[in-house]
Amino acid sequence: MADSPSFRRHPLPFSVDLLRWLPSSTSSARLIAAAVHDPTIPASSHLHLLSLPDPASPLASLPLPSRPTALRCSPSVLAAATSSGSLHLLPSSFDTDSVISIPSGAGFHVGPVRGLDCGGEEWVTAGEDGRVHLVSDGGDGRVVARRVCDGKGMLGYEAARWASSAEFATGGAGCGVQWWDRRKGDAVVAQCKGIWGRGVAAGIVHSIDIHPSRKHICVVGGSSGAIFAWDLRWPQQPIPLSGVGLHETAEPICESEVWEVLFDNYTQSSDIISAASTRILPVMMCSEDGILAIVEQDERPLELLAEPCAINSFDIDPQNPSDVVCALEWESIGVLTRGRDAMAAE
Amino acid sequence: MLADSGGGGAIVPFSGDPNHAAPPPPPVRPIRHGVAPPISRVFVSWSSGNLLQVACLSGGRGAEEVAGSVVEVNLAVANGSAEVEQEIDEAEMRRIEYGSVPAFALLQSRRNALADAAAMQHMHSVSERAEWWQYVLQYSKTIGKLLGSPDSLPGLMIEDPRAILKVRERPTSLKAAWELLEIFYVDKNLHSWLPERLVDWLADYDSLLTKTDGTVYCKLSDFQKKLINLQVVENDPDYWNGLSAALSVGWLDVVVNMLRFHGSYQLDQMDNRETENGLVEAVAVLVSTMPRMRPDLPTGKLGQCCTSRPDFIKAWEKWRGQVSKLECSAFWIQCGHQKTRDGLKNLLHIMMGNIKDLTAATSHWLELFASHFLYIRPFTVGFEGMHHLAQKCIQLKPSFGNSGLTGLLNGILSENPEVVLAECTKKFGPWMVTHSMELLAADNEYADIMLHEERPNFGGLSIEELHRLVYAQVLSSHSLTWQIAPTYLSSCLNQGLGLLEILLLKQPIQDNRQVLKTLELCRLYELENVSTNIMKIAGIYHWKHGRKGTGVYWFQQAHDKVRLDRIAQQLFERIGKSVADDNFKQWEGLVELLGSDIGSAGGLEFLHRYRDFKRSLQQALEGRTGEAARQTVEFLIQLMRNPSTPQRFWLPLLHDSVRLLNCKPCPLLNVAETTLLLNKLQELSMAKLRPDFCTNHLPSHALSSVRLALASNLARAILEEP
Repeated sequence: MADSPSFRRHPLPFSVDLLRWLPSSTSSARLIAAAVHDPTIPASSHLHLLSLPDPASPLASLPLPSRPTALRCSPSVLAAATSSGSLHLLPSSFDTDSVISIPSGAGFHVGPVRGLDCGGEEWVTAGEDGRVHLVSDGGDGRVVARRVCDGKGMLGYEAARWASSAEFATGGAGCGVQWWDRRKGDAVVAQCKGIWGRGVAAGIVHSIDIHPSRKHICVVGGSSGAIFAWDLRWPQQPIPLSGVGLHETAEPICESEVWEVLFDNYTQSSDIISAASTRILPVMMCSEDGILAIVEQDERPLELLAEPCAINSFDIDPQNPSDVVCALEWESIGVLTRGRDAMAAE
Repeated sequence: MLADSGGGGAIVPFSGDPNHAAPPPPPVRPIRHGVAPPISRVFVSWSSGNLLQVACLSGGRGAEEVAGSVVEVNLAVANGSAEVEQEIDEAEMRRIEYGSVPAFALLQSRRNALADAAAMQHMHSVSERAEWWQYVLQYSKTIGKLLGSPDSLPGLMIEDPRAILKVRERPTSLKAAWELLEIFYVDKNLHSWLPERLVDWLADYDSLLTKTDGTVYCKLSDFQKKLINLQVVENDPDYWNGLSAALSVGWLDVVVNMLRFHGSYQLDQMDNRETENGLVEAVAVLVSTMPRMRPDLPTGKLGQCCTSRPDFIKAWEKWRGQVSKLECSAFWIQCGHQKTRDGLKNLLHIMMGNIKDLTAATSHWLELFASHFLYIRPFTVGFEGMHHLAQKCIQLKPSFGNSGLTGLLNGILSENPEVVLAECTKKFGPWMVTHSMELLAADNEYADIMLHEERPNFGGLSIEELHRLVYAQVLSSHSLTWQIAPTYLSSCLNQGLGLLEILLLKQPIQDNRQVLKTLELCRLYELENVSTNIMKIAGIYHWKHGRKGTGVYWFQQAHDKVRLDRIAQQLFERIGKSVADDNFKQWEGLVELLGSDIGSAGGLEFLHRYRDFKRSLQQALEGRTGEAARQTVEFLIQLMRNPSTPQRFWLPLLHDSVRLLNCKPCPLLNVAETTLLLNKLQELSMAKLRPDFCTNHLPSHALSSVRLALASNLARAILEEP
């Protein structure tokens, strides 16, 4: 499928936590937003604008009050949430003068906010403090955060993802995946414990992705190498995607934390005919033990990278899905370019 | 040592050692702790890395003041003794540290594999030894590549023809030292042309030899600056000095290039300086055809390669013959330019190995040393001969500014691995020592024994383990590199594992992701009890900070029965207290979270039934639908019938239902059910007299109000009964 992918590591003088491709207007500049920090220097958390192919020096940067924990990009807005519980929105052109921030505190989040996603008009934020907020434009350059739920510490959220303008999914520690419907009074309408490996009853959900054309299917990555899909039409039967929970002989692609999952538009499903209805589309994942791979239902996983250090985050370029950028634990970022031949065949 | 930023705070004077006449003033760090004086107590303890935690407790009685605070002081001071850190900044050093982990781990696993194979065969085969040497060479090359600057300068499109020294990446002493060790200890392929290898090394790193005394490199770069303003180069003595210096250390390409600057090459002068030009060209040709005892030459370097000794001797004698023939030639008389004549003759003398001219041409003893290999003793082999020669050169050109590289070379030539190790420690820091030990012991039995022998005065550690532990400590002290310390600790058999456990337990647990990363390391090194402990600590932390869900999650992952039971116990104690809706939600959430894990507390079933009862009771009281009320009563009867329901909850349960029993026009309970409840009430009244009866927080009239409600219900039920 992906013939001769080329990979290049770029060492940087700071630790990169999260990475996202930014929409670029010109074809020459490939822009990346990187959430970075350097623990040896106080107040060194930043959002950097890096450019490829030479990301060594940031083109622009925005200081953040604490370590960034979530980063998402919509076509027009770039949003970052921090470990203290604040949210920062800026235009995706990285105009640092027009940043809008919501400070952390009793009115918003206290503690890390790891669930963050844009659903057209509104942003959803879900924090480890168990609170879920919807943030929308309040007019005249202000934003309004509306509390949807306060778990009062009974739940801690780690991930959030919109399915449509009325539905979104959240996930966290111990609570599995939850499906929220705004039309039914902003309430949880379905819940799934998930499938966890190594004889563990419950795990932490780290990442959720929902395919834009199949809004009833969530794919979930979590602790102990768990990757599963949850189809709302059969909410009681999550579908295992990693080796975990399949059959005894299947070797799991990884046994450590799966930090991020994303549907991979570049990889074609091996079975195109049946792909129309029930099949889960190919999913890319990255993990603590340094694996970047593509997993597919009932298929052998395709390993793209096996790094000696953790891959904390990755992003597939929406404009050019053969390119993947990933944040490596050892203060560097990696850029993976998959073969162009397969692109032409699509 | 402790001073408040306000100025009027606590100052603890530092008393120096009275035996010393003048103790140096201690470094003072102001700390902003914000605690109003007087401060009654100060606690100081090490946190992770270079962080010092200072806790200040106020002695004041004012309630509105800050009673105490904990501040973290970062004591990170750059280790000035290591020369490496002046050349390589911290981020670059960390890049080297990260990059060397896979190479180091691979070499360790290969060593273990070989040891296992040897144990199976009960002998050391020769091929194994050879194999090992190949592995170490591969390791050395990988790390050497890492030490080269990653962003090497892009090749210039148009090369300046007047450039003497090639522009290339800035050499670092760390890489120079690494290559030196590789040349002498590992690379067996090159042993027969070791002198030439040393000449190459000098060409790369000559600029690093000394900062105070001059070098050939200095001479040439000074001349390069002067060159732009020079009209007639051959009149300048520095031109000839530079030429002889470059030739003496064997930079033939530089010499030939420089000779072409000579004025006689200029077209307008060709006619009247023909002989002069012929002599310059003849010298240039001789320089470029110098025989060299080596397998190949990199592109751009000059000389003719000879791989075998007889070939070389033949070529050498022929070449020397040509040199001396030119020296005695009659053309010199026709050469009108005095400086050219003297300069060229000097070059010929250098090529003929005139020791006086060589000594004059070179600046540093190492350069003189290299020139000996080139022109006087091309067959020098063996450490003893080299060492002897080095001593002679040092006597001729004593050096004062020691750069570490010369010390290292001295140690190598005197066959003294202890000195080599000490130089590495002193000048290049713990990274270098830890990684270079593999090179030292690759093919040197003495060094092998010296490094691996367990020493009782080190508590049974070997020198190798000691240095690895030191390096691991350095890595652990930085919050970005601590994750690679386990690789080195796990290669230490004696104390590595113990320190690894301490390292893992000391990691901060505030951030869930950080905890997961630490747990991953525990899994990798199969430290299950450590991971259980970390989960428990994380659980307590989150529980204490109100994130009960996360807390319970960690307790469950740790299978911490004790704490889960305690939580379940707390849930029991809440029962019967009149709980507000909001609190009940929280209580309900906790029961939900605990799930099946509170089974051992004996009351899981009860808690779930109680929750169902309470839920439907609320519905019944709000909605007043007959359905919900009937449901509630059913739950109540089930609870009262069930033997697992503790007696102390009977009265609270009944008391909760009083409002429901009273408000309905038609009786909810039939006669049998009411009798059951009355019997339970009776039992309770009897039990009250026993000494072990525990009272609950209900009002004193609770019992009588329940009795009244039940009695009236019974009366109505009897009337209803057909």
